[in-house]
Amino acid sequence: MTGRGIDGLAAARLWATDRFPYLATGLFGAQVLPVPGSGTVSVDENWRMRADPDLTAGWTAAQLGSVLVHHVCHLLRTHGERAQSLGVRPEEARNWVRAADAEINDDLIPAGLELPGRPVLPRDLGAEDGLLAEQYFAAARTTDRSGQKSGEAAGHWLDCGSGADGVPRPDDSAGHGGTTPLAPPDEPPGLPGWQAELLRRQVAQEVIAHSKQAGTVPGGLLRWAQEILSPKVNWRTVLAAELRRAVAEVSGAVDYSYRRPSRRAAVAGDVVLPALRRPVPEVAVVCDTSGSMTEDLLAAALAEVEGLLRALGMARQVRVLACDTAAGPAQRVNSARQVQLVGGGGTDMGTGIAAAVALRPRPAVTVVLTDGYTPWPARAPKGTRVVIGLLGPGAPTAPAWARSVRVDPD
Amino acid sequence: MSDNPAAEALGVAVAARVPVLLWGAPGTGKTSAIRAMARAMDLPCETVIASIREPSDFAGLPIVVGDVVRFAPPQWARRLAEAGRGLLFLDELSTAPPAVQAALLRVVLERAVGDLTLPDEVAVVAAANPPEQAADGWDLSAPLANRLCHLSWQAHPRAVADGLAGGWAAPVVPVLPDGWQAEEILARGLVAAFLHVRPALACAPPTDAASAGRGWPSPRTWEMAGRLMAAAGAAGTSDEARSALIRGAVGDGAGVEFLAWLVEMDLPDPEQVLADPASFRLPERGDRAYAALASIVAAVAANPTPERWTAGWQVLGLAANAALDMAAAAARVLAKCRPDGVALPEEVRVFAPVLKAAGLMPGG
Repeated sequence: MTGRGIDGLAAARLWATDRFPYLATGLFGAQVLPVPGSGTVSVDENWRMRADPDLTAGWTAAQLGSVLVHHVCHLLRTHGERAQSLGVRPEEARNWVRAADAEINDDLIPAGLELPGRPVLPRDLGAEDGLLAEQYFAAARTTDRSGQKSGEAAGHWLDCGSGADGVPRPDDSAGHGGTTPLAPPDEPPGLPGWQAELLRRQVAQEVIAHSKQAGTVPGGLLRWAQEILSPKVNWRTVLAAELRRAVAEVSGAVDYSYRRPSRRAAVAGDVVLPALRRPVPEVAVVCDTSGSMTEDLLAAALAEVEGLLRALGMARQVRVLACDTAAGPAQRVNSARQVQLVGGGGTDMGTGIAAAVALRPRPAVTVVLTDGYTPWPARAPKGTRVVIGLLGPGAPTAPAWARSVRVDPD
Repeated sequence: MSDNPAAEALGVAVAARVPVLLWGAPGTGKTSAIRAMARAMDLPCETVIASIREPSDFAGLPIVVGDVVRFAPPQWARRLAEAGRGLLFLDELSTAPPAVQAALLRVVLERAVGDLTLPDEVAVVAAANPPEQAADGWDLSAPLANRLCHLSWQAHPRAVADGLAGGWAAPVVPVLPDGWQAEEILARGLVAAFLHVRPALACAPPTDAASAGRGWPSPRTWEMAGRLMAAAGAAGTSDEARSALIRGAVGDGAGVEFLAWLVEMDLPDPEQVLADPASFRLPERGDRAYAALASIVAAVAANPTPERWTAGWQVLGLAANAALDMAAAAARVLAKCRPDGVALPEEVRVFAPVLKAAGLMPGG
């Protein structure tokens, strides 16, 4: 099978599965190929690991095992793909790999990783623990610019391969497209993208299962697993979709109209055809301005609502009501920052919604932005669709008659 | 093998006559790919831009004949019906207003335009821009989304470079061998078995508006997935394209779970292996080999009779030749559930050196 030619590989993997049992599937899922003379251990995005037997011969089982775990983490955290989407240029690749190393090492070194040499840690890049590679990358950029050459000794010993920095290597495409003449023809094909994705999910499930049974999973890895299995949806996308849907339903509901003759009336003879009519709905925004609201979050949500409505071509129709226990008069605002939080004690969004419905012309869609600590009307208001933006991570649930979107700070 | 799994998947969906929708940013060549495909296959292609049409263009224009109202189909539908085959291409689907989307429901699935039903040989293909990329876009309504297999279309830098230099390659529609539908029964069986395990996924309408516009699991889409799986198998498509088709039909979440379940189905049944240890063949891929060994050891641990325990060691002894470390990792679990009074088997010795090298030898 794999691994002939690298001494101590079996012992190293065994050490790694003992120390990190939740990564076992990932460790065994990566193929290890001996490449004499490469002087490094590297991975590509198809889960192939290339190791120089002369280099690894000098390592203990724990050291080689740690390097394997480290590289599997590059693959699990899709560092290659992330580097590409961040637009890391080949000359910056080394800095990116240092940032990616820091993301892996910050919680695995305390968990017992014994890498040879001096591994990169967040403090080498002038950053705190527990951040993402993108943040470390940005932090390292600023410290480099300010002239503090950080940690010369740390991390300059290995090329981690395209699986870590996304820069294609000549031998990566073996078995993938098979078009590169440089590729050794006898190399086994790696995992195609979708199988790598399944493997990643499998590992994430095992990490979570292990944390429930034994509870000894490093926090960063656990967060990674939770993010893979239930990715956090950007509230902007959800809010945009809900708002478009509300507007679409309103303008779609009265599509046919006999107020105007159809442009095809001449063809139809005796039959009176309805014409397609698309009314532009009125929209009202009710803002909770009680003391418990976070100003920045309200401004962000309101700006998003305004931007969306402008994209739908109806920015002029928006009226904003400020509301705590009583709704203020409708105001037209030019920018989200103009909404003032008056900081009243209690909140009742029911009065805000009632005030919105009382506006003339009546709004077809009412957007309510609140922290959720409010009584709600028992049933849906007549004649308007309600979309509720719940601001803040701890907001209670909204009533079922309205569509609600959770808006979290990011 | 095609470099572009989405193009390959498009070909299979057209061959299987499953309505398909390409999602992609404006200018990425969806329309030209579909037209080129029709030209390459010598199929008549009727392009209908949904956003500038009225509902009556799809539901038929009412005409009074005596005291009966007929719903007359427009010319493009007549042309397709006369040709008996062809491609109906609905462009700009996501900018169609909701009323037009509602009128499209019957066109997409049943190929009915007014009083006219298009022949079975007509394939329905659509293209759309994601709503966040088209300023005047609507999300697809959930019923319309549920009638389509959603493929995401991306411009691959290399394909663009090749296309600019040497002309665009048309997606190839595979010729399915006669009787490929027989495979569909098998594929449906797999889907049915999966839904027995995960009944919650049989029908899971999306709860928020953002995901309603894409594929989601329902009896109709599962049937579609079965048909696409059979067609992909008959056409010999790449695994990547097959995965895109299944996820496109039932949505990403349910699709990924189904694919993962299919992979697991390939693993040997632990009880059968324990009954006949000599028949055990270690799977090729490392992670699957480990999963197979772990499941066998777990089966022994659940019911550790002396016979099963000894059979477990025989399996590990066989596996140790090919993958010593995987077998050793499983052996450590097996060693812990030793039934009373059973002697240590021969195979244990194989693992001693590697356990020692890893510093895991008990007591040493």
